[in-house]
Amino acid sequence: MNYEILIPLLAAAVQSGTPILYATLGEIFTERTGILNLGVEGIMIVGALSGFLVAKITGNPAVAFFAAGLAGAVAASLHGIVCIIFQGNQVVSGLALTILGVGFANYIGAAYVGQAAPGFDPLPIPLLSQIPGLGPIFFRQDLLVYLTYLIPPLMWLFLYQTRYGLSLRAAGENPAAAIAAGVNVVACRFVGVLVGGFFIGLGGAYLSLAYTHLWTNNLTGGRGWIAVALVIFAFWRPSRAIFGAYLFGGVMALQLRLQASGTQIPSSLLLMLPYALTIGVLVLASWRRGGTDEPAALGRNIEPVD
Amino acid sequence: MTETPVIRLEGISKFFGSVRANHDISLELNRGRVVALLGENGAGKSTLMSILAGQLQPDQGVIYHHGEPVIFTSTEQAIVAGIGMVYQHFKLVEAMTVAENVYLGQSPTAWLKSREMTRVVNELAESYGMQVRPEALISDLSMGEKQQVEILKLLLRQSSILIFDEPTAVLTPHEAYNLFATMRRMRAAGKAIVFISHKLEEVMAIADDIAILKRGEVIDIMPADRVGSTAELAERMVGREVLLQVERQSVEPRQLVLTVENLQDDFLHDIDLEVRQGEILGLIGVAGNGQKPLVQTICGLRRPRSGTITLLGLEWERFFSRHRWDKSLSYIPEERQGLATCRGLDLLENFLLTTRSGFTVGPWLPRGEAGLKAQRLVEEFDIRPPDLNNLAWQLSGGNLQKLVLAREFHRKPRLIVAEQPTQGLDIAAAEDVWNLLLKAREQAGILLVTGDLNEALALSDRLAVMFGGRILATFAGGDRDMVERIPQMMAGLTQEEMT
Repeated sequence: MNYEILIPLLAAAVQSGTPILYATLGEIFTERTGILNLGVEGIMIVGALSGFLVAKITGNPAVAFFAAGLAGAVAASLHGIVCIIFQGNQVVSGLALTILGVGFANYIGAAYVGQAAPGFDPLPIPLLSQIPGLGPIFFRQDLLVYLTYLIPPLMWLFLYQTRYGLSLRAAGENPAAAIAAGVNVVACRFVGVLVGGFFIGLGGAYLSLAYTHLWTNNLTGGRGWIAVALVIFAFWRPSRAIFGAYLFGGVMALQLRLQASGTQIPSSLLLMLPYALTIGVLVLASWRRGGTDEPAALGRNIEPVD
Repeated sequence: MTETPVIRLEGISKFFGSVRANHDISLELNRGRVVALLGENGAGKSTLMSILAGQLQPDQGVIYHHGEPVIFTSTEQAIVAGIGMVYQHFKLVEAMTVAENVYLGQSPTAWLKSREMTRVVNELAESYGMQVRPEALISDLSMGEKQQVEILKLLLRQSSILIFDEPTAVLTPHEAYNLFATMRRMRAAGKAIVFISHKLEEVMAIADDIAILKRGEVIDIMPADRVGSTAELAERMVGREVLLQVERQSVEPRQLVLTVENLQDDFLHDIDLEVRQGEILGLIGVAGNGQKPLVQTICGLRRPRSGTITLLGLEWERFFSRHRWDKSLSYIPEERQGLATCRGLDLLENFLLTTRSGFTVGPWLPRGEAGLKAQRLVEEFDIRPPDLNNLAWQLSGGNLQKLVLAREFHRKPRLIVAEQPTQGLDIAAAEDVWNLLLKAREQAGILLVTGDLNEALALSDRLAVMFGGRILATFAGGDRDMVERIPQMMAGLTQEEMT
């Protein structure tokens, strides 16, 4: 594979990895507070549809992008209400949210299938985009991609260097200890669910506003599930999520290119690649459990004080 | 004492359904004084302290804080009022550092300044005679160090009333000694301290006032200097003469039920021991010196890597390859909740965990018949409340332990491995357990693993001292010279370091 093919492929990897990255970061944030949200796929598609509709109505992609985040937070709040207030089972609630979100978005979006909406276009950064190799890969993307370069370090700073981050992480590691220390664990977990849902919604909006600029049924196509798996691969660390997301983006882009190049491999096999990789990654991640930052109380509800 | 008490409880009562947990309790806490709360399991100590810490609301009665009546509806309010609790089960985040835990929920600034945090934690620890590294992860710490972190949390938020819920239950003797030194410094610094304990010597050593609780009521309250001896205190507590020295008749030791020869692995070195039917071998040592792996190996939870173990005449592999429910090995583990019982199952189901083979008819397990038997045992062993439908977690530690013993003795074991059987039990319950073990000795050989010297001396026919994965010596319980050297042996070779 020569240089002219490799660079566009890597650039495409970054682009198709970006929606997964948003969703993974959102899910990491949520899980850090101890709430397992398997509704990522549903929240993402609700975000994608909301972004698309708001862009179509207002014509303003920035407003649409923000609205998609809010829609994601609203969708995620259902999960928060079920699990945090009513102590529901987190796995079941998350799965239900996925089914609900996908069904809802496909139903509302049915009238708009194939229609286009204004979105984000590549916006090369002066100077940086001229760096050979790195420039075309990382700095000839759209604004939303640049935004993801900032989120992991900011999220790390928040989680590890502020007292709020300390409280949020404590809520995910040992809620009883956090309560004993006077931390409002219910609030922490709600913040985790809402902020996480916001980022997941943004990931969905990237698909409809930058990746495709149009609406189709099942636009997310399982990317939400990949994000759930990537959280484990990333050991719950924002920085590692970047590598995972771009790895998957790369496989998705490669698979598209192979199909376009008219290879002999059946396209259904190629379409399986990212998901096969997901399984591989999970096996690998569970092999070396050593360095993971998995929250100790992940998926466990806060027991009410009697 | 003309000063207003920091906290005055007046007429506190608390009911759980029809159960009276606290009844008309009045108590004063003063600056610079240690109040010891003494009482049996289920006497209402924990309930009373939960009320003070804002976790429970009293049904009747008033709490006065510096003379002002207050109502704590949440732990936060109690924290703000300066009440801090060192829980028996630590409330720490294992994956975080000491400094992060200390500052959790009480960082004055939005940004965490790790250098500042380290400095403050170090200073606090030093001024109260504690040694703990602020950068260390909680999961790497010993129980004693974790407890220090709990104390540091309270010191940082300048709590003026500190409650210690059975703080020495998880500590080695040396760690307990350090804890008392820290508590004395706190007392000198003018803090009011509540000390909950079962151990009479500790209460005598540290307390200024002693309050005895029984069945939810304060039956006696007195300054510590008016109590003559631990025996007197024990008498006041249980309301009758306590046989700290249990009566034992010697039983003729018979055939070997357990031999361990040359057992070796990463934690164990050259272990040799034997137990005969009719005797109790007391294995004494500070926790963490190889007792756990040894017990696990003997009880079939760990495969012996080298050396031979023979149980009831059968080699280890053969013994554990066939299951026999009665006249066999009974293991009474330290973890009553977890290893010995399932917290979410009721008493009958927990009873059947190891005895089910005695009741099965073909594929069926008739609950009725088993229930009758279990109910009789519950009455015989005085397990409270005597209701088989209760779940394991609803029982106090002492009653749960009695259930485990009732179950295991029902199996008529020939070999009993009892691990810290009276840890966390009050004197009356411990005495019951001791007498049960002595009685069981007629039919079985008993390996008693304990860290309590009094218990080992009271029960054992022979003693073995364990340190650093080795058995340092084995001798008869009547060998006075050796018995006197046990404390030094338990401390291993660290004697020079301690001076």
